[in-house]
Parts: sequence; C-alpha cells; structure tokens
Amino acid sequence: MAHEDHDVIYDLLAARGVSRRDFLKYCGSLAAMLGLSQAFVPEIARAINQGAKLQPAVWLNGGACTGCTESMAQADSPDVATVVLEILSIDFMETLSMAQGQDALDAAEAVFEKEGEYILIYEGSVMKGFDGNSLRIGGKTGLEELDHAAPGAAAIVAVGSCAVDGGFVMAAPNPADATGVQMYLDEKGISTPVVNLPTCPVNPEWVVAIVVDVLLLGSLESGAILDKLDRFGRPKYIFGQTIHDNCPRRGHFENGNFVSEFGSEEEALGYCLYKVGCKGPQTYTNCPIVRWNRRASWCVEAGAPCIGCGSLDWVDVGAPFLNRHRDLPLPNVGNTQPGVIAGVVAGVAAAGLVAHGLGMKATGRMDGGAPYEEMKEHDRKRMKKGGGK
Amino acid sequence: MSHPAHYREAHPFIFVMTHWINLIAMVALAFSGFYIHYPFFAGFMGVARGMHFFFMYVLLINLAVRIIAAFFVKSATRLGSREVDTDIKNWLPQKLNRHQLIPWIKYYIFLKKDHPIGAKYGVLQKIAYIATVPLTLAAAYTGFAIYAPVMDWAFFTAGTDAVGGPMNMRIIHYYLMWAFILFTAIHAYLANVEGFSPSRLIFAWKEEEGLQFDAEGKIVGGTEH
Repeated sequence: MAHEDHDVIYDLLAARGVSRRDFLKYCGSLAAMLGLSQAFVPEIARAINQGAKLQPAVWLNGGACTGCTESMAQADSPDVATVVLEILSIDFMETLSMAQGQDALDAAEAVFEKEGEYILIYEGSVMKGFDGNSLRIGGKTGLEELDHAAPGAAAIVAVGSCAVDGGFVMAAPNPADATGVQMYLDEKGISTPVVNLPTCPVNPEWVVAIVVDVLLLGSLESGAILDKLDRFGRPKYIFGQTIHDNCPRRGHFENGNFVSEFGSEEEALGYCLYKVGCKGPQTYTNCPIVRWNRRASWCVEAGAPCIGCGSLDWVDVGAPFLNRHRDLPLPNVGNTQPGVIAGVVAGVAAAGLVAHGLGMKATGRMDGGAPYEEMKEHDRKRMKKGGGK
Repeated sequence: MSHPAHYREAHPFIFVMTHWINLIAMVALAFSGFYIHYPFFAGFMGVARGMHFFFMYVLLINLAVRIIAAFFVKSATRLGSREVDTDIKNWLPQKLNRHQLIPWIKYYIFLKKDHPIGAKYGVLQKIAYIATVPLTLAAAYTGFAIYAPVMDWAFFTAGTDAVGGPMNMRIIHYYLMWAFILFTAIHAYLANVEGFSPSRLIFAWKEEEGLQFDAEGKIVGGTEH
C-alpha cells in the first residue's frame, strides 16, 4: 500500500485524535473478530481507506424501543468505528434524520430507486398484528414500508433481537404478533439476504465488522457472507461460541466459586454468576472478547449475570433472569419453575408409594405377596364359557 | 406366604455387575447433575462436571454391554426355576405373561386378591424395565445437546431447535433425571415390598429357597419359608 493512499484516512483519523497505531490495532481486532489472520490487517486498513465510496443505506425502525439506535449513536466519540460507519450513507433514519416529513420520505424513496445497491438496516420487530397498524409512517403501515424496501435491497442487516426474531416485543403474550425480519420475509417469499445481529441492543462493533466484511472486503458480492452465517442467519464469527466459553469468570465456575446473592463477599470477589441466573452457558455471542461501549466492559464483567439477549426468544426462555431455569407457563397455575413442578410430582409419587405400602401391609402381602392364582383369569373365564374344558 | 425361590440363574453374575454399575452410575449422575443444576455447596463444579461426563460414558457403555449380553448369556426366564434360556427371551413377549396386564393392574390396586401368574418379569415390570433403555438414550441425547464439545453437531442442533433452544433442552434433560428417580423409587419399592430376597440376589448374588414354577405357571414344588 503506497504511502499516498494513507492520506485521506489518516487526515480523517488525525482530526479525530486517532493515531495510525490505534487505527492498525483496531484493524487487528477486526481481523480477529472476522476470523481472519493478522496478515489481513493491511488489507482491512486498505479497504477502510479506499471505502470512500459511500454505500447508500436506509435505516428503518420497526416495533422496538429504539435502543439499538441509541447503542449505535454511542459510537460518537473519536474512534475508528465512526470512520467505518460513516462509509454507510444513511440517507433515511426516522429518529436521526435531519429532514422531516415529506422531505425525509422522499430521501428514502430516492434510495429505494437504486435497486440492488442499497443496504437496508432494520431495527425492531415486524408487528403483524392489527393489520400492521401498530406502526404507521407517512400514511403507510410498517409492513407496507418493509414490503416496499426489502425486495430491492442488496442485503438487509437486522440489528438487535427484535429485528431477528421479534425480541422482547414478541415475548408472551405477544399482542402485536411481532416477528423477525427474516421470518416475515420468508412468509412473503422475499429472498433478499438477511444478516441477523441479535442482542438487546445491538453492539456497534458488530455492525462495524459487518460493514468491513460485507462492503469493504466484498463478501456480499462474492456471496461469501452467506457461508459465514449460522442456521439463524447470524455471522458465525460473532455468534459461534458461548459467553461461557470465553468468560473471564470461567475459572471461578470451574473452581466452584459462586455468587449466591448480590451484595455478598463472593460478589465482591468477582466469583461466577451462574447461581444467580447467568445465561452465559447457552448464549452464543462474543461479548467477552469484543465487549461493549467502545470495548470498555460488558455485562458480566460489570457484575451482572448474562440475561441471554443474544439467544432466540430470549425473554421467554431467559426470564426470570436471576433464576437458573426459565419459568414454565402452566394453565390455571401461572408461571412455575421446573424444579417446583418436579418436587410436587415426586412428593405425590412418594405419598402414593407410602399409601400403597400401607395397603400392602393391611392386605398381608408384605411377607412374600399374596398366594399365586391357580390359573390366569383369562383362562378361567374361557373355561367357564367353554363348559368347563 | 407364597414366596418364589430366588436362584442365581435368574440373575447371572454379569447382570449382577451391570446392575451395580447402573446403580452407581445413576447415583453419581443424579448427584452431579443436581450440583450442576444448582451448586449447593462451593468448590465442586469442576469435579461434578468431570463426574457427570465420566459416568455418562460408564452408563452408556454399560447399557451396550447389557444389551449385547442379553443375546449371549443364558438366564432363567420364569420365577423360581433353574431352567435357563437366552436372556433376550425375557425381554420379548412371553407366553406366561399373555392376558395378564389387567390382572396385574388389578392386583396392584387391590382389586384382585391372588398373585397373577407371570414370567420372571411380570407385564408391568417388563414394560418399566424396557422403558429405561429409551429413557437412558433420551437422557444421553438431551445431555449431549447441551454438552459444549458436541452441542453444535447438526444431529443435536436439530433437536435443540425443535424444542426451542438450549434452555428447554436443559429442562427436558433435568426432567429425564426426575423420571429416572421416579422409576428407581417405584422399582426399589416394588422389588422389596414383598420381601428382600430379590435385593439379596441382585446385590449379593445370594440364593433363597421358595416356590418353584413350571412353564405353565403352576407351582411344582419348593418350600414355603
């Protein structure tokens, strides 16, 4: 890479107080996340540098709390991520667009006309209930908006759990009949590739990784991105291992050092949060490696058990978040822990055996059982019928 | 009372061994499983997991040995008899058990006074014992499906997705252990409620005299005691 290539990007970075060294370190961590060897660092650096060509993008908000927007907006301080994310020319975003009203909608429409060129970023669930009227924008329902935007997109990035499978919006009883983008498009027969980035909210680092991988290293054009997705459409390099696999508290887990209650000495010692409901063992994300808030920290490091927001159906299978098991909804009883159900069944069984034992004692069968029948009941009845043969 | 003879032919030594191994493995698995589910004292997780994985293999290998041995080892196929046949006959339908399901149920719920005629394993008993095989395999499958080294294999992810994720799989695995505990409680109760001779035979391989039966289920000798 010739020195003059550096100028644009390093001017940009220098203006943000980021040194060349910081930039290359960041590219190194991106290479690690993307599962590439460090030999790819110069290529990533070059790709970011040459990524001056803006990629048109539209950010649609579905049914959600706008937390993912908030999370992305945190990538605001001088940092390489912002430089990468600026490659996305987000021409329409309901919450952050400068334009308002018809102007904003026109901007979106202008992007939709560039069929096959734009990236659709979808935040929030797709709410199918009430004929799609849970969400209306510009006189159209949210469903119509998605139907309009999805077919022409080069790819859809579903950011946050809501966009992936409905997230907390689809938690029981799911009044809005919320679902994920991929699931909705499958129903509609729209085959635009979808990259799912769950967690609540989405981590900007993962969006950066996708931008670099898909747009700059060209894995969308080559189709390679599809091979990098797991069976839920999530990039394997982000969602391939559990939190438990890479947890900094894993040593305490193996040693059997657990936090039993918050505010205890064990908690102060940074012991494992398994007993207070950590869902790390079944949650596939690389949070322990990439961390959050510009790689400052993440839930478990900050002392909170993982609540499994990177899993599918994460609210219903994770709640109550401070218990080892999910609750099971029993008709007429309500939410019950599996252990309680097992205990009741076992108690009834034990009582049954005791009662039966008392019966055996009362009928005098405990010493060898009752006398054996001379003939099977079936044979006896048949003999009676057949006239004593 | 009418106590059948308990001869060693009923449980050849290899089955005394497999029964012991099953018992030890299941106790170890249930204990370590409860600990992994909720660590009720400190400092044991690494050992508990090691125990769980070790005894899982012990149980599965033991199951394989028990099933293979059924085709090669001869054992008595009826109560109070030294006459032996290939052990697998005990696990297939037997003439002595025909038409006896209802009488057994009636006997157990005190609607029938006399003891139903039966093969070495009565109808309900045989169903319960055979059910432990799919139960063990189901416990193994659900266990492997939440066992990090293999949980990503398509064979296991297919099941995990079908039940709605690893949390549900974990709960099913947990309930299967309870199914084993219930089976064991009922098994231990029924095996011993009419006397401890069955336990003396299966654990200590100790014989006891009693009634002898012929192939029609008729008492042909032996002594009351």
